[in-house]
Amino acid sequence: MRTHFTGVVIAMLSLCCCTAGLAQNAKSSKSPTTLAADHPDFSGVWFIEKYTRTILPKEDPPFQPWSQDVYKAHVLANTTADPDSGPDPTARCIPPGVPRIMLHPFPFEIVNARDRVVFIFEYQSLVRQIFTDGRGHPKDFDATYMGNSTGKYEGDTLVVDTVGMNDKTWLDAAGLPHSDSMHVLERYRRIDRNTLEATFTIEDPKAYTKTWTAQKLFKLHPDWQIKEYVCAENNEIH
Amino acid sequence: MKYRLAILFAVAMGALLVAGPVSAHHSSAAYDLDHPATLRGTVTSFEWSNPHVFIHVDVKDDKGNVENWRVEGNSPNMLTRAGWSKDMIKAGDQLEVTGAPAKNGNKILRLNSLKLANGQKFDGQGFK
Repeated sequence: MRTHFTGVVIAMLSLCCCTAGLAQNAKSSKSPTTLAADHPDFSGVWFIEKYTRTILPKEDPPFQPWSQDVYKAHVLANTTADPDSGPDPTARCIPPGVPRIMLHPFPFEIVNARDRVVFIFEYQSLVRQIFTDGRGHPKDFDATYMGNSTGKYEGDTLVVDTVGMNDKTWLDAAGLPHSDSMHVLERYRRIDRNTLEATFTIEDPKAYTKTWTAQKLFKLHPDWQIKEYVCAENNEIH
Repeated sequence: MKYRLAILFAVAMGALLVAGPVSAHHSSAAYDLDHPATLRGTVTSFEWSNPHVFIHVDVKDDKGNVENWRVEGNSPNMLTRAGWSKDMIKAGDQLEVTGAPAKNGNKILRLNSLKLANGQKFDGQGFK
């Protein structure tokens, strides 16, 4: 059964009044600008080229002592857990946050609007709004799972700046932790027609001694559409 | 029987090499990805639901005892993209499944691949 999930989400976004976050951002919003023709267009359905449990291929990030201890505890708990009671927050349908939302083996669609780029994720039916109209991050807001994202174009690249995330999520399935002061920079560019490259820069001095980066590739799937996905429908995790 | 199991194990190892790493909703770390198993049995129920498709299968062990396994595929959306349909499995069907068993010994298998009685084969996750 095909759903009209994408259309529903876009319609909801056009109302600009469905969440507290939107209402909050509307206060600082400038007038919508016309989508410039020379901006790169990443619209379409994308899927991670190769899924791995870790955001970094082999090496460890520059841990602070506490974050290394927490990471080791997550890895140990992951590997010894009952499949129905593991420690991974997403196993209880908690949103994965940024950047982990980009790493899941589920497709996402990028949609352009006049004042924002919208990422519609099949995983948990989540949405990211990346405001590209020049507004800044809100000065006062409650931390959320997915944070607040603004974007700008640099040539062929969309640069996304995200802050305002709580510390209840992991950075990857392996269990890398972060603090509520994390700042994530993402750079998206097309390296060929069917391949999107994402470079993640993690700046979180409370959890890591230095800024570090990771990279993932995504493939375009023109024949796919985003479908409804209700995590809690029949979840056996408890 | 031991010889037969050894062959099944070898086939399963080959299938894992082809399929690569797997994951979906549950953390795949709870499953023994390095030692996949192949089971043959009779379907007792089929749940076409999020976050995972569940196939419950009665499997006879070497002594003839019947154990009911919960076999977990990916989400219906991803499996539809891999060619599955919600009507392709029903209670009473015979099938063969290969996947990673739970490390803690529970009768739960993370599905790598599925073979129906008519010989049709399907990926259990829908991605590589």
